[in-house]
Amino acid sequence: MAEDKKTSDSNSPPADFKSERDRFVKSFTRGSRLTDEFIQDYEQLLERLAVLEAENGSLHAQVAADRAVRDLVQKIERLEAEKTDLLSRTNRAEAITNQFTTRVQEVESEFSNLANLYVASNQLHSSLSPRGVTRRIKEVLAQLVGAERYSMYLANEDGTELVPIASEGVPGGDLLPVSVAGSRLGDVLKKGEAVVEEDSDPSRGALDRPAAVIPLVVDERVVGVIAIFSTLSQKTRFDAVDFELFRLLGQHAAQALVSASLFAQAERRLPGLEAFLDLSV
Amino acid sequence: MSEYSCLIVEDSPMMRQLLVFALARVKNLRVTEADDGVDGLRKLASARYDIIVTDINMPIMDGLKLVKRVRSDPVHKDTPIVIITTEGSQEDRQRALQLGANAYITKPIQAPQVIATVKELLRID
Repeated sequence: MAEDKKTSDSNSPPADFKSERDRFVKSFTRGSRLTDEFIQDYEQLLERLAVLEAENGSLHAQVAADRAVRDLVQKIERLEAEKTDLLSRTNRAEAITNQFTTRVQEVESEFSNLANLYVASNQLHSSLSPRGVTRRIKEVLAQLVGAERYSMYLANEDGTELVPIASEGVPGGDLLPVSVAGSRLGDVLKKGEAVVEEDSDPSRGALDRPAAVIPLVVDERVVGVIAIFSTLSQKTRFDAVDFELFRLLGQHAAQALVSASLFAQAERRLPGLEAFLDLSV
Repeated sequence: MSEYSCLIVEDSPMMRQLLVFALARVKNLRVTEADDGVDGLRKLASARYDIIVTDINMPIMDGLKLVKRVRSDPVHKDTPIVIITTEGSQEDRQRALQLGANAYITKPIQAPQVIATVKELLRID
């Protein structure tokens, strides 16, 4: 028994070995735990690295995309500027075109007015018979001015009355001599200035309130008047060309009529050459 | 470039002159004048016209009779007709258009309106 005890004692490791072993085991266990922790940390770091690399890749892609977007934005801005410039140029071109179109319309209108005046003048002087001249005066009034009811008067010798010599659309009973004193027609004869109702519709004119009264002049003397009582229903105002026609009629109608009357009185004989020899021109 | 021909039928020499002046502004348009409807028909029988411009109130044969006759003529039944008249009422306009006129212009005429109407009917820019 004592020997067993002795053996047992001899087999048991020395106490410092035991404590050494314990320390070793302890140390090993701690090392193992640290290793586990290291491995765990390492794996976490690997995961973090993968995440960061992914983030990095994403950021790179984003930067590239941002650059592309910036390029596109710059391109859009450039195109917008070009578009603005083109629009501005188009607007300028349109404004010029509009100006040009307006000018062309004005020229065409002016041409039309001049054509009216030329034709009226040409027609007034294309006849040497009083009837022919009267017919042409009436044509100018009806066709060019658009007069529907009108009358032409000449003053009598002492200038006290205006006597109707031609008319259209006026009942015979209304075609009477008009006293110069105290009448609208007489006022125009005395003053030599046309009177035109510019503020009212000339198609609604009346015998006692003519739409226009035009003085007829021969050699700077007022010898009669044309009274336009009313115009055609579609002619609701006088235009600039009408005022030119009134002027032309005033200056040429009576002259043409007087020339035609003198020619008729001379039995349509042309004056001899001697009538032109002492003109001193 | 094609050339067009126009027949003006109008008894007033002044209106004819004015229409000739106005239509001279249309390029490549040759204008022929007729004194009234009968003269107009005579000219239509001897030549082909691309457009007819006619007055209504004329002696011997008026413009409306002329329109009727033109519409029954195989050569000119489709020729555009422009009526120019002093009659400004809606009924007159309707009557002329029903008879076969293509356009209706009231006097006093404005040359730009005549030109625009003729150009439109001939489809000239």
